[in-house]
Amino acid sequence: MSAGAAIALPAPAPRERGRGVAPIVALLAPIALINAVGFLAPVLNLARMSFYEVEPTGAMREVYTLATWAKVFSDGYYAGLIFDSITVSLGITLLTLLCSYPIALYLHRSSGTWRTILLVLVISPLLTSAVVRTYGWIAILAENGLVNNALATLGLAKLKLMFNATGVTIGLTEILMPYMILALLAGFGRLDPRVEEAAATLGAPPFTIFRRIILPLTLPGIALGCLLCFVLAVSSFITPKLLGGGRVFLLATEIYDEAIVTLNWPLAATLSILVLIIFGGALMLYSRALRAIL
Amino acid sequence: MKTSVSFAIAVVLAGLSAPAAFAQQQTVTVMGYSGLFQERYAKAVVEPFMKANPGIKVEYFPMPNSAQMLGNLRAQKAAPQADVVIMDVSVSKAATDEKLLTKIDEKNVPNVADLYPNARIPDVDGVGVTFDNLVMLYNGEAVKDAPKSWMDLAKPEFKGKVAIPGMPDIQGLSLVLIMDKARGGTDYLKSVEKGIAALGEIAPNVQTWEPKPEVYPVIISGQAVIGAGWNARAQVNADASGGKLKAVLPEEGSVFQINTISLVANGPGKDAGAKFANYALSAEAQKAFTESMFYAPTNAKAQISDAAIARTAVKSMNKVIPVDWIALAKVRDPIMEQWRRKVIPLSR
Repeated sequence: MSAGAAIALPAPAPRERGRGVAPIVALLAPIALINAVGFLAPVLNLARMSFYEVEPTGAMREVYTLATWAKVFSDGYYAGLIFDSITVSLGITLLTLLCSYPIALYLHRSSGTWRTILLVLVISPLLTSAVVRTYGWIAILAENGLVNNALATLGLAKLKLMFNATGVTIGLTEILMPYMILALLAGFGRLDPRVEEAAATLGAPPFTIFRRIILPLTLPGIALGCLLCFVLAVSSFITPKLLGGGRVFLLATEIYDEAIVTLNWPLAATLSILVLIIFGGALMLYSRALRAIL
Repeated sequence: MKTSVSFAIAVVLAGLSAPAAFAQQQTVTVMGYSGLFQERYAKAVVEPFMKANPGIKVEYFPMPNSAQMLGNLRAQKAAPQADVVIMDVSVSKAATDEKLLTKIDEKNVPNVADLYPNARIPDVDGVGVTFDNLVMLYNGEAVKDAPKSWMDLAKPEFKGKVAIPGMPDIQGLSLVLIMDKARGGTDYLKSVEKGIAALGEIAPNVQTWEPKPEVYPVIISGQAVIGAGWNARAQVNADASGGKLKAVLPEEGSVFQINTISLVANGPGKDAGAKFANYALSAEAQKAFTESMFYAPTNAKAQISDAAIARTAVKSMNKVIPVDWIALAKVRDPIMEQWRRKVIPLSR
């Protein structure tokens, strides 16, 4: 699909009144139903559970209390947890963007079989589970792993690359890159090579073309990719668990611990709702950014 | 009527298509740990039980941990699918408080009479079915001198080589309790300051507080060389690794982790469930499972081979520090806070 076509897309023909509403309702009904049963109902249940009373043993009583919410808002630990989750995820998102952008741009410009091969390469990591890929990173980042052995061979000091926030950042960045690349590609529709050529003809140096033409035209893709990766980073817990070494405390890992180890389900539910609120904030920022761009 | 109900449930549950065989059969659904535990338990306890009771079929429903079992029990409260559940004692207490279980005693499960006193836990509807204890693990190839004390974990040569499942996991908590006692702490319900201080000395050496998938392969592979884990799994892993993994009971002692067996309230195969629980607590089943997986037995009459008993904590009971896990639950949050503030930062 050429970018020009996307811009020049004819406006949809005005719909005749009265007709067309029924099919739209019929088409939306299945997904609305699935969402209501599979998403909305569990979330409401979670919200309700966050107000349940919990005993130290983990026994829950269906008595409503604000105790858990009060604890989350009064204990500085949880504020720190929220702050850390957001900043670490933002850092990962930025890193993912920097690593993925050149790849996506190259992919966008390539064509034919080469493009297909590259696309398969980009998508293929998604065929392997994040758990397996994280274990792969352990082999690479461990004290006697690929990187540190290479450093040792060169006579350099070994680095602490995992079981800390560095490891989590490296692992998640790689794991999220395919999503970022695909989102960027989807958002690159407006990028037309003819506009770049026109700028070059008028004497713009490559960096100016990038700054004034390419970057502004790819902003929708950047916004979409960042939203997607941020949400995935905040909610991922396997990679932080495996590469964090019990030193990196994030919302998602805390929810897992409270639900599975400590058995404080109301607290886990409260933190889950907080994550959902953070997602809502991210979504709002995204739509605002999109309106500013378009 | 009863048979037809359990028949229907069996069909719905398993989606099996051999109705004739089930018509006269009762089914007991046992919820328990997955993986190694399931593999060994099926051979040592479930299969002999089915052989002795041809009319009862046991379905083992594996779950990765006690919390998920509790989750299942909660979700199925209105229509339970399981009859028997094997889970950690503190989770069992939560299930008891939520009225998800039926009380086990000598009346419905006669073998309860033969259990050690510490297998009968006040205010918990289930009873102890296995005892496990915390042990120090090390890689025999990398560590030449067998460690004797938990504080060997703080030795400089193990810098960055220690793997301990940290809090909130109860292995980390157990270590705090053991070291608190060793350093003169008197009541862990009031203060574990001394234990936390000891862990603070070990912390700079710790490579990971989250050894995954478990601590045993991490030490066998040499990624870490020393650490802490549960005895039963350590013993099985020691055999599987050809002796590479070694386990010792350090001089400061250890604590018991208790798995309870419980009857699910209104389970579909009620009588058969109690029958299975009774067999699981029998001297015969306890002997078979201890000899297979080295959990210490809870039945005092179990006659276990010397070779197997030597690999449990039974002969070193004087080293086992009594812990009231139920009372401990009340102070777990403050201990966790100290762990976060005084242990973790020292390991960064």
